[in-house]
Amino acid sequence: MTQRENLMALLRRQPYEFVPTDLMLCPALEEEYHRRTGEKDLPYQDYFQLAWRRAPELIPDDTDVSRFFPYHQGRINPAVTIDEWGVGHESTPTSMHMTKMLFPLEDAQEVEEIEQYPLPTYSTTSNPQLAQKVEELHKRGLASVGNMQCTIWETSWYLRGMENLMMDMLTDEEMAAAVFDKVTEMSIQRALLYANAGVDILFLGDDIGMQNSVMMSRDMYMEWIQPRLKRLISKVKEVRPDIIVFYHSCGYIEPFIDDLIDAGIDVLNPIQSECMDFEQIYNTFHDRVLFHGTVGTQTVMPFGTPQQVKETVWHNLDIAKEGGLFVAPTHLLEPEVPWENIVAYVEACKEYSQKK
Amino acid sequence: MSVLTEISENLQKGKAKIVKQLVQQAIDEGIPVKQILDEGLLSGMSVIGEKFKNNEVFVPEVLVAACAMNMGAALLKPLMAQEGVEAAGKVCIGTVKGDLHDIGKNLVKMMMEGKGLEVVDLGTDVSPEAYIDAAQNQGCQVICCSALFTTTMGVMEEVVKAAETAGIRDKVKIMVGGAPVTQDFCEKIGADKYTPDAATAADAAVELCKAI
Repeated sequence: MTQRENLMALLRRQPYEFVPTDLMLCPALEEEYHRRTGEKDLPYQDYFQLAWRRAPELIPDDTDVSRFFPYHQGRINPAVTIDEWGVGHESTPTSMHMTKMLFPLEDAQEVEEIEQYPLPTYSTTSNPQLAQKVEELHKRGLASVGNMQCTIWETSWYLRGMENLMMDMLTDEEMAAAVFDKVTEMSIQRALLYANAGVDILFLGDDIGMQNSVMMSRDMYMEWIQPRLKRLISKVKEVRPDIIVFYHSCGYIEPFIDDLIDAGIDVLNPIQSECMDFEQIYNTFHDRVLFHGTVGTQTVMPFGTPQQVKETVWHNLDIAKEGGLFVAPTHLLEPEVPWENIVAYVEACKEYSQKK
Repeated sequence: MSVLTEISENLQKGKAKIVKQLVQQAIDEGIPVKQILDEGLLSGMSVIGEKFKNNEVFVPEVLVAACAMNMGAALLKPLMAQEGVEAAGKVCIGTVKGDLHDIGKNLVKMMMEGKGLEVVDLGTDVSPEAYIDAAQNQGCQVICCSALFTTTMGVMEEVVKAAETAGIRDKVKIMVGGAPVTQDFCEKIGADKYTPDAATAADAAVELCKAI
């Protein structure tokens, strides 16, 4: 089986040959990869034989971000970049690959200001190579992913500011609806572009969990977010019933899992082991959803021994004895993760396949 | 229903404008400022804090309640200064150097203000020296450090060491929190208190201020 055939078999609950691997390195670890392996040009994704690759990022129809400058008056400086949605990102000398976000609509007072906000549109005209690039991945035997994390809730808060948007949801419903609707329409456009380009997997996500609790009440989630996510997924599945939808949320989200399944997700990521008990989650939901992740990046990946990393991988695969787990670190690997633990994760996947 | 109970109940519902009107009404009725604060605003926030701890309300409800509290408190502040009403303690809070995440930190700040504490917000990406400076020069009794990353939580140990080096370790308490932080970590680095959520952090800070 190719990596793609193998992964897609796992995701379709069919027999597969080996445990696929997936990891993401932060820039500092990527440099370490080159140092440790001596590989100059080979990307780490190829070196570690990861099962999938991202399809190219979508290019908006209007790439000129100067139209967002009026929304950031007084705070544009050389450390600030404006992204395609008009969100400002300010880096600091010590913040590594992180940035402070500047919300373009945080001071908006009227619904009209939201409605007039120039979010970009997305079309095949601006992304003429997309389907071809996806096909190239498939020809290499790799599964293709349309990465669209920050689908509705997160993008909305990046525009409005989280505190403002949460307050809108309780005290200014018209304002909240205007933000959510605008973002949802843009996300549907983007999702359909990926779907029509033939990606195997659409990777959605919005953080709705905190470490020990959910970010908002279930009533609020069901009023504002889940129906919009459900609409997006149903539009995608209308044109591509075979597409596999991944959904990411950090943290504790157990009260929302049924609602995410109802919205149409196929695979839940990352089941943060520090926040939820994978065995319990697996036993409760595995007949209705698959899982991706489970190897803790707050605990075992940075602070465990290589042997503990391996045992965690095997333990979680043992829990998922009826299948449905794409085992992987739960998040981007940060600079303090020892190289030996990364190698241990990859080896653990291979060794489990051999045992099997 | 007394005006103070009305303040508390409207605050819990996040009715900021009504809270402001009611606080003004209470002031006009001659109710002592300290009583309006304690039995109106802080009493309402206390209920919200308990409900938050018990997962009966979540971040959005806390935000609107805190907003209502601030609207009311803005009317009381000048009068409190006049009458010499003191805060329950003074703390400084910030997200540690290298870390720009502030949602959790802001929530803790709101909860602490809801307990009547004066909070100096140092923002994000805060160096150990900046915490020490706030403790020394602004009279903060508690230093509160937040981190979201395993990469940056190590800076909390530097804050503890900086307090020792500055010779103020016995005069200041150090609290730590944030997603990857644990009780074990708190003990390992020699900090004074770890709390798993914002409401518990606020309660702990009040206790620490009393103890100093």
